[in-house]
Amino acid sequence: MSGFAAVLRKDLRLELRSGESTLALLALSMLVLVVLVFALDAARVRSVDAAAGALWVAMVFAGMLGANRALLAERDNGAIRGLLLSPLDPATLFAAKLTAALIFMAVAEVGAVILMVLFFNLDFDASIARLAPILALGAIGFSALATLLSAITGRTRGGDMLLPILAVPIFVPALIAGVKASAAALAGAPLASMGDWLKIMIAFDMLFVTAGYLLFEHVVGED
Amino acid sequence: MSAPVVETHGLAKTYGLAPVLRDVDLALLPGAGAFVVGANGSGKSTLLRILAGLEAPSGGRALVFGQDTRKLAARYRRRIGLMAHQSFLYPNLTARENLEFFADLYSIADPRASADKWLGRIGLAEVADTRVRTFSRGMEQRLSAARAMIAEPALLLLDEPFASLDHDGAEIIAGLIRGAIERGASVIATAHAVPEIGGVEFTAYEISRGLLKEHAHKEEVRRGGRLRSLLGR
Repeated sequence: MSGFAAVLRKDLRLELRSGESTLALLALSMLVLVVLVFALDAARVRSVDAAAGALWVAMVFAGMLGANRALLAERDNGAIRGLLLSPLDPATLFAAKLTAALIFMAVAEVGAVILMVLFFNLDFDASIARLAPILALGAIGFSALATLLSAITGRTRGGDMLLPILAVPIFVPALIAGVKASAAALAGAPLASMGDWLKIMIAFDMLFVTAGYLLFEHVVGED
Repeated sequence: MSAPVVETHGLAKTYGLAPVLRDVDLALLPGAGAFVVGANGSGKSTLLRILAGLEAPSGGRALVFGQDTRKLAARYRRRIGLMAHQSFLYPNLTARENLEFFADLYSIADPRASADKWLGRIGLAEVADTRVRTFSRGMEQRLSAARAMIAEPALLLLDEPFASLDHDGAEIIAGLIRGAIERGASVIATAHAVPEIGGVEFTAYEISRGLLKEHAHKEEVRRGGRLRSLLGR
């Protein structure tokens, strides 16, 4: 079995055993959606716009929690040193951590979308299916960014607090594109009409997946 | 004559302004064993971490298998086993799952069989399916030794391998070290005093305030080490 599969299998096994990340992601998504559904004035804001915004706020918070936890497990007992000492390529470690974060985030997103439809009184129709590629692009970009940054912040005291301060401002371009594209998708617009927003998200994904792949070995070490 | 497995030349390490290692020269041939003794904070663990490639030296050079430890390629890293103060184990995985995971990382042909073999060697076969978080410090220490040795590395770096162990646990680890030397591996271990490992001759070094000195007579180091630990210095 390759190192990639070994790390991914280990992370999934740890998560299935504890359920900590997935449950926390779902609980956080629900909290954000509940707060926003009551905070936003339905008479003044279109429900699709409010729903799209609420969904992405939930997704960003959930993504940060997931990425933080993924590398936190490696700091226990210094396990990260065991990985760095092994023949495992740090870029492969990044790919495995990114994939694990993506899987956790995808589970949280499915839950968040169901809650969004219920809380914002939307219909389960084709517009929900059109959200899938938009959310997938957002999840890839955010997971890559958060995995890379959490490798840095995990080495510092109070790194949990530092991650959102670093990640959210960097994610803003993809966040705006994601919210706009999601609102358009929920309003029934075809994917082709949101090409510019999707291009921004694709560019963001390519940038941070490549950056993580190339830079992870320089940030995950201890010296 | 074989090339040294480990060579250091004027090795130095500082944390901030505090020197931890100063001008350390060391050479270890294949199949040789060395014990580095010293008080807490003398630089023993730092030396091992540098040799494992986990930390970069502040000055001088450290070579393992002729390669600079600042940039050890995967094929050299796989030949190094490090047992450190931290176990590098996952508390929420069982003993078997931990060893299987590391066997996977090192591309060992049958990870399950390898994990079971090592669990037998360290006397933990009966708790193979128990999560590591429930283990005592000594049990975790033995499992950590198995993790470090599972790929049968050519260089073993052991940081206080007998700490926290009872008599039986110490015997098991001593047997593993003896076995490693007998199959031709080189071993560098740290301790507060040089232990007796029957049938194996170790070169004894003493490290004090970051300076490494070789001792011809390990008995001298043993007495000194015990005295220092008794005095708490």
